[in-house]
Amino acid sequence: MLLLKLAFLNIGRNPRRSAITVLAVGVGLAALIFLWGFSDGTNNQMRENVIRLLTGHVQIHAADFQKTLSAELIIPDRIPVLEKIKALPHVSSMTERAKCEALIGTSEKSRGILLTGIDPTSEILVTDLKNYIKEGEFLLPGDERKAIIGDRLAEKIQVGLGDKVVIMTQAMDGTLSGYAYQLKGIFHTGSQTLDEVSAYITLNSAQDLLGLGEETHEIVVRLNRRDAIPTFLSAIKEIVSQDQHEVLTWNEIMPEVEQWVDWSEAIIRTILMAVMIVIGVSIMNTVLMSVLERTRELGVMMAIGTTPGQVIRLILLETFVLELFGIALGLLGGYLVTFYFGQVGIAFPELERAFSRSYMSTVTYTHVEPFHVVQSILILLIMTSFIGLYPAWKAGRMEPIKAIYRP
Amino acid sequence: MPIVQVNNVTKVFKERSNSIPVYALASVSIEIEEGAFTAVCGPSGSGKTTLLNLIGCLDRPTEGTITLGGEAISSLPQRKLSALRLNKIGFIFQEYNLIPTLTAIENVEYVLWLQKVSAHERRKRAIEICQRFKIDKLVNRRPFQMSRGQQQRVAVARAIVHKPSIVLGDELTANLDHKTGTELMEFLRELNEKENITFLYATHDPAMMKLAHRIISLQDGKLINEKAAIQTDL
Repeated sequence: MLLLKLAFLNIGRNPRRSAITVLAVGVGLAALIFLWGFSDGTNNQMRENVIRLLTGHVQIHAADFQKTLSAELIIPDRIPVLEKIKALPHVSSMTERAKCEALIGTSEKSRGILLTGIDPTSEILVTDLKNYIKEGEFLLPGDERKAIIGDRLAEKIQVGLGDKVVIMTQAMDGTLSGYAYQLKGIFHTGSQTLDEVSAYITLNSAQDLLGLGEETHEIVVRLNRRDAIPTFLSAIKEIVSQDQHEVLTWNEIMPEVEQWVDWSEAIIRTILMAVMIVIGVSIMNTVLMSVLERTRELGVMMAIGTTPGQVIRLILLETFVLELFGIALGLLGGYLVTFYFGQVGIAFPELERAFSRSYMSTVTYTHVEPFHVVQSILILLIMTSFIGLYPAWKAGRMEPIKAIYRP
Repeated sequence: MPIVQVNNVTKVFKERSNSIPVYALASVSIEIEEGAFTAVCGPSGSGKTTLLNLIGCLDRPTEGTITLGGEAISSLPQRKLSALRLNKIGFIFQEYNLIPTLTAIENVEYVLWLQKVSAHERRKRAIEICQRFKIDKLVNRRPFQMSRGQQQRVAVARAIVHKPSIVLGDELTANLDHKTGTELMEFLRELNEKENITFLYATHDPAMMKLAHRIISLQDGKLINEKAAIQTDL
């Protein structure tokens, strides 16, 4: 206890220097928390954007459908599977889709697209596509021969609201099938992939186009929260057949999102290391100066029986106490800033084009994962304590006689 | 029985391997009896501080042996020397004596804390000694709030609170005015006489030498004289 008291008192000897060090640690940690908050917020939004716009949390297909998109790969035992999924825990909503590669065009221009047949009533419970309609309206049940497409696609094939487009694809039986559709809506999601290569028609229209009858290609499940996915996956194993079905999570469907997250976290970790070094050097400077200033005093302490180990512990405690104050300040500052920007958001309107490629929003709401804060603090503690070993070791190695009679 | 035996001790300082060796002490042999009040005197550079440092386990002799309470200390490892300093020796330095962040009583308690004495016992012993030394009104003051004389009294309290075998003082009155210095030395002699505490102190002040039972004179690292001092009554 006396060592701890001494450590506190020694820190208070030069309040300005200690305050600067605490501030350096605090500002460094607050900056890291904010960076993590920005990164986690961006990544979370990106994940949610993908889930809400495109994939839902989990999709169930016939085996190999995701890879081949073959029209004949309809969901085996669709009705019983659907009924059983509805009863699973955490299921918030679900919808069915028919999906195929197709050709969209006018008499002058055409493009390859991913055509999705959706049930407008249940689709809006699973995805937010309806909210992204820029012109016209979203599909309604009974909207036969009507389509909605992305604004970039409309631009590419030079069509507008109310215009007619022809969509052609290979039907389930292998024949070429095609109909003319009137453009009911044009959407803009910000995602280049969606806006440039996607078209939606009603599920009935798609079943008609592909000759599916009542069958579908995809069950999209929305859970009440993302972290319920593992529970859902273990439950659904009992329902579907391993050979006939494929169950894919959103990140298996869009692996590039997690790759992006890994990449952005690697950048934050690099910055983290640089900040840690700056903080570490700042602490070392303070403690080393403090040791040098107290050479005679430490010499007297050792002369009257303080062991080198106790001197080392004292200096390490001083380092640790400085760190703790800095961490407390950093936590407070970091959380306040992150909370504030979590409420008001940080807008990057000029980066829309760059962000749209990776499903990022132009307004980021910071949100920090506790794990990242704990990780930053632990790294900070370990690294600065390691750096603090040098002045402590230097103090412990002092010869009392030289320290006492130092000129 | 002598509490300290210095046998043929030589201490050579050499800045670098090729520099000229300086003989701080040359073949010095002395004995300090238990309960003695001994002054080491001599001009600057005579080896007074070196002798005290060697006896106080702060340094090692180049040649010769030193025993403290019957234990040969010259070749002990650092850890054991720390323990010896803690348990058998009390130090009073000329300056920078007290830990500036601690109060007077905490400074006195510090050595007991190092000895792992319980908090209650520590405080009890520290208060007792502060009362005896008439510094009980200063216990909550930090060193910078005390005069130099008061600081030295606290330093003496710290030096004897753990009942060491010997108390070493190096020019402990050098920074005090004559009156305060004399008062401090008289106080130490009173402690020596009443409690049989062994004191060995270095001084070049003739007035302080007069208070000693015995004077050891050094010059150029050699023992030139050893005599009983002319005692003055307290």
